[in-house]
Amino acid sequence: MSLQAQFMLKNDRSELDYAQLVKKAKSLRPGNGYRLKMALLANVSTQHLVPLLKAIFDGNGVDLEVYEGGFDAIELEAYNAESGLYRFQPQMAVILQSVMKLKASYYDFDGDRGSFSKTQADKAEAVWKAIQARLHVPVIQSTYVLPPERIFGNYGLKAADTLQGAVSEVNRELSLRARAIPSVFMNDVDYIAGWVGRRHFLDEKLWAIAKSFCALEFLPEVAQSIVDIALACIGRAVKCVVLDLDGTLWGGVVGEDGLEGIGLGDLDPGGAFRHFQYYLRELSLRGIILAVCSKNNEATAREVFQKHTEMVLKEEHIAVFVANWQDKATNIKNIREKLNIGFDSMVFLDDNPFERNLVRQMIPGIIVPELPEDPGLYVRALAELNLFETASHSGLDAQRNKFYQDQQKREAEQKQYANIEEYLCSLQTTADFRLFEPGNISRVAQLIQRSNQFNLTTRRHSQADCEAMMADHEHFYPFAIRIQDRYGDFGLINVVILKLHPAEGRIEIDTFIMSCRVLQRGVEQFAMNKIFEFARNGNYKSVAGCYIPTAKNAMVKDFYAQFGFVRDKNSQGTETWWSLDAGQYVPRKVFIREAGLPGAA
Amino acid sequence: MTEAEIKQKLTAIFRSVFDNDSIEISEATTAKDIEGWDSLTHVNLIVAVEKGFKISFTTKEVMALQTAGDLMRLIASRCN
Repeated sequence: MSLQAQFMLKNDRSELDYAQLVKKAKSLRPGNGYRLKMALLANVSTQHLVPLLKAIFDGNGVDLEVYEGGFDAIELEAYNAESGLYRFQPQMAVILQSVMKLKASYYDFDGDRGSFSKTQADKAEAVWKAIQARLHVPVIQSTYVLPPERIFGNYGLKAADTLQGAVSEVNRELSLRARAIPSVFMNDVDYIAGWVGRRHFLDEKLWAIAKSFCALEFLPEVAQSIVDIALACIGRAVKCVVLDLDGTLWGGVVGEDGLEGIGLGDLDPGGAFRHFQYYLRELSLRGIILAVCSKNNEATAREVFQKHTEMVLKEEHIAVFVANWQDKATNIKNIREKLNIGFDSMVFLDDNPFERNLVRQMIPGIIVPELPEDPGLYVRALAELNLFETASHSGLDAQRNKFYQDQQKREAEQKQYANIEEYLCSLQTTADFRLFEPGNISRVAQLIQRSNQFNLTTRRHSQADCEAMMADHEHFYPFAIRIQDRYGDFGLINVVILKLHPAEGRIEIDTFIMSCRVLQRGVEQFAMNKIFEFARNGNYKSVAGCYIPTAKNAMVKDFYAQFGFVRDKNSQGTETWWSLDAGQYVPRKVFIREAGLPGAA
Repeated sequence: MTEAEIKQKLTAIFRSVFDNDSIEISEATTAKDIEGWDSLTHVNLIVAVEKGFKISFTTKEVMALQTAGDLMRLIASRCN
């Protein structure tokens, strides 16, 4: 695996060249990247797609192992418990379907054509459910590419029951059903086809010769889309965008041109910047953290946010605001520390090539896209990179910027207290302790996907896994904690999954995850008290846990030692196992009051 | 394009697609003569030839191809 390659692919889609990727795939050696087992189920041939997937995954530090289902055997694979699909035990299943096949089904459809889209979606949903009944893994379903023929011409959109309408309806119906199942994801290949041009994308000749999904030239785009979704499913997602100001959010230089002199508003080029700000605000509402990193006097820079009537972004949208005359790499490092996230989940946007290169060189891993000279093309350039793929969404995402702003108020206040205990008392923290339940399960799954640092085992249980645990009281005690203090609500920030072995009187901590927003507040102590309280009430003799090191979770390597767990001498490899008798645990003092909190998780 | 020019350019495409710089093609070269020439790489080859010579074959033409000679004649019929 190569960090450099990751950096290139994420920054620049011109790397997506079919012949180059095929060559690269030939020279791949199984490395020490993240191992991913993926099943490909398709009614097109997948042989040209596989090398591309391998090459692109490799560029992202993932060693891919693929199972290719039989040609046009999606349902056979899904419904047969003995099929190759289930023997392979993939971590995700990708379904790729051609509109050529859909067309044939439409023309040969026996029933009322008005029910065609529903029938097709029923079939797809049944396949998803069959797969997920046997494998708790994400399923990635493709949309159908709109075909060229329009029997009625434009009138086809007015007439009922046309092929053209049916394909759109199938896509719509598939996405509506996918919304209801969190671990089914849509791979919108029709978007890709539309973007590159459907007449170039669809290739009837290659379909006839080789049952190829599309023109080979665009197959890398399809592969990249699958990779984007898969990476989001394994927790690789952009969390923060760091923004330059002058020339990036508005035209000109506020320090020289003055508040009224900068380019922002309806008249071009101001309109382009406003449009870009709308895009950024949508990202913020979606849960992407926005930070500012600008060479400016802070007061001058903030004044634009406070007073300029054409600004779409306000101070409330910016989690961390850094405007000074230090170099940007140092400032971005400081921003990262405040947010407690990895550089590889940060994107830096700056119109100045000098700053972009400096940051690229000084901060390995950070994503620094090229921005076009014309600000009118900023949105398009970023949209083409598809940087903001995600595998989950919860209502609290929109408030993420506020969490970090509250945090900065807390830090300012902390300085007034003589010691940490006094400070923790002053926060008046309350905790809402709950088992997994329908109301919190999507946020639980999201935390499991996103957390890297305070994560003892980094087991990426899917939402379907979590739902199964929720119902299985005999084998699992899974809980989540949400906290708030007098500054604001942190939301659900701690997830613990206990695996129960009642016959042996033993509990295993399968998963212990905490959001880095709440370090050093006693939440982990509160949770550990809860674990041992449960152990004692259930007459369990001991609690065991394991630490699986990753590139990112060194902060918890002494987690169990800190609670008095004893390291098991038989620990093998890099994993370490720890255990503690239930009777020996000394409950930790915490400054957190337990209470039910109103509102959803 | 002359026959020789076509052959030279086609050889370069074969070498690139099959990743082997020692490939020489002749009138009688078939898939059996070249390592890695299977149904998968055949499609890669056709697409690379179409792109390289800026021409387009029909499905029927592609299906009928048996030898490198067939391919060279097909290219010649399109380029000249």
